[in-house]
Amino acid sequence: MTRSGWEVETGDDPPVEDGKRALAYRADDGALALYNDYERFRSIVRTPKAPGAGGVRPAPVPGAHALAEAAEVAGYGTFTFPYGPISAGVPEAGKFEVRTYGERVLGLVPVGGFKSRSVPASVVGLPVADAGLRVERIAGNLSASHVSAFLAAVESAEGRPVPTAELYVRALAQELQRLYNHVRQIARVAEAAAQNVGLAQMHALGEEILRLQGSVFGHRWMFGALLPGGPTRRVEPADRDRIEHALGRIEAEFGALWSLLLESRTFVDRLQSTAPLSKESAISSGAVGPTLRASGVGWDDRLRAPTPPYTDLFVSLPNETAGDALARILVRGAEIQASLVILEQLFDRWPAEESITEAPESPLGPGRGIARVEAPNGDLVYDVTVADGRIRRLQFRSPSTANWPAFALSMQDAVFTDFHFAFESFGLVFAETDG
Amino acid sequence: MTMFGWLGRSATRGILTTRYPDAPPSPAEAPVSAHAPEPPPGVAIAASAVNACPVRAIAPDGVDQCRCIRCARCLAQGFEFSGPVALATAARADRPDGPSATRGAGAPLARLGRSLHVFLVDVGSCNACNLEVLSIAHPQYDASRLGIFFTNSPRHADVLLVVGVPTEAMVEPLRRAYEAIPAPKAVVATGACAIRGGVFEGNAGLRSGVDEIVPVDLYVPGCPPPPVAVLDALLRLIGRERTEAPT
Ligand code: SF4
Ligand code: SF4
Repeated sequence: MTRSGWEVETGDDPPVEDGKRALAYRADDGALALYNDYERFRSIVRTPKAPGAGGVRPAPVPGAHALAEAAEVAGYGTFTFPYGPISAGVPEAGKFEVRTYGERVLGLVPVGGFKSRSVPASVVGLPVADAGLRVERIAGNLSASHVSAFLAAVESAEGRPVPTAELYVRALAQELQRLYNHVRQIARVAEAAAQNVGLAQMHALGEEILRLQGSVFGHRWMFGALLPGGPTRRVEPADRDRIEHALGRIEAEFGALWSLLLESRTFVDRLQSTAPLSKESAISSGAVGPTLRASGVGWDDRLRAPTPPYTDLFVSLPNETAGDALARILVRGAEIQASLVILEQLFDRWPAEESITEAPESPLGPGRGIARVEAPNGDLVYDVTVADGRIRRLQFRSPSTANWPAFALSMQDAVFTDFHFAFESFGLVFAETDG
Repeated sequence: MTMFGWLGRSATRGILTTRYPDAPPSPAEAPVSAHAPEPPPGVAIAASAVNACPVRAIAPDGVDQCRCIRCARCLAQGFEFSGPVALATAARADRPDGPSATRGAGAPLARLGRSLHVFLVDVGSCNACNLEVLSIAHPQYDASRLGIFFTNSPRHADVLLVVGVPTEAMVEPLRRAYEAIPAPKAVVATGACAIRGGVFEGNAGLRSGVDEIVPVDLYVPGCPPPPVAVLDALLRLIGRERTEAPT
């Protein structure tokens, strides 16, 4: 079934049964098995299809279609206004169709495709390292997660063992990027809620993390750092000391800013009960990451479906139940502290040079691998087919793709003035939605 | 609380704002990949180096900074990130007589005086360029001290700052944003993508650079360009860029 640029797969794939078994998690919540199974991944994943001469036609993001229809509610005085693709509040190219009769939002449909660079189609035939250059540029602020998931899928497809230290470097990069994204997201929400307490310092903290990444990996967004065949930017003991020192400072500053922010009644009041998402809606809409955890579902790939080195680490699982913008921000704040604990464990357990980790056997047979990592904004899945060191097919399901329907649901019945901090509290990125 | 411990720093401590453009960018402000890659001195560029570059930025006669995505592959060929922080240029190496060259880059805005209002437009970026551009407003760069401000409306803007590789769907919105800015105005193409597609050059449904759609005054190389390079480009438009003392 094709719908302008997006295609929902109809199933010319190798047996699904095996994949299903491998990905059916031991869920503590019956609904979770349903929400997170392989079929669900297949139902909203983008297939790598190069667009025609006219480019990708923007269309409602997958899963938002039902919402689009629901938004067609007619009534005296209702109208639809387009917000985007160039808008002041969203610093990315993307659009929203807002159905309203004045102030109250009756329905909101996110429209993606404006930023589609057709990465999955463009990497077909490329060597893994060259494909990696494009994969890390799908979403620059989430590069470490995308590259880690991509490489893990390739390794599982090829059954290739990996030096354990490399897995540690990937985890280090992912956790640093989680710090950066959460700090920035908190700052953006504070900014949208016209909260000035500590705002500049929160942004300054984000810049400090970028500088740390730049000094350790040679690149502020760690592009190239994790790829095979690229520069060997290894993390030497001296670097690790430097990082630990910097993290100590970051932790202290964040702690002080965080309590300042939470002491501000206006900030807390503004976010409380804004853009709420019930546990049931979170599960049924397929939400992932901090969004899901803020609605009372304790799911984190690092804990529930861990791959090395997370298998050996203590990972705490911050959880909120209110499901509103405040809950999503509280989860992020707590996750910053949790990531600092993870980083500390990484340094404590840093493996010896010669240590090797076997790649997990691919549930889909040789040549095709699936991997998922917990990106800062949620569960990210890569499905890669490789032959002779070249990409045969690549598809992925980003956390943003999974979370758009939840965002749209949470905005139903909201007032439009809530839009900006509701939006920022979800951590949605058009770049990775469009690919 | 973890082992890193509290170091007793107050959240209200003074934040070090860059001395740029009065001083050159510090290593913290410009990590290695912010610098231009340069071939090993004194020898001809080897064919193996030309082939090693994934975006064909290396030619026998030099490196095209506008194309380079800072992937560092050429380091294995003896190249080093030893050049200056790659700063804005008024012409694309492969298009020296393009629209910007004939238009006289920077010149029209110098008359505007001291302050600049910048309208940021994303036409298909990976988001890193957007965030680098926005970070010039953060305390470490504090663009407002230099009279540089972001504006939410093209009608109040002097500068259209474009990030990302133009997708077909963004061609019209970009053109409309350009037209909405009152003259005199300048366009800054920021990042390898905006200049000529970067790593995505040649993908289906993409234009190969912003200057296919609107005339560009300045190109800021990098993938993404560091905030100091963005500052430099904007300062150039008002004739206040850093000029190295002659040595
Ligand atoms: S850094 Fe990468 S893109 Fe730039 S010249 Fe070297 S090989 Fe080419
Ligand atoms: S130039 Fe590089 S950093 Fe900027 S949008 Fe393109 S890929 Fe991203």
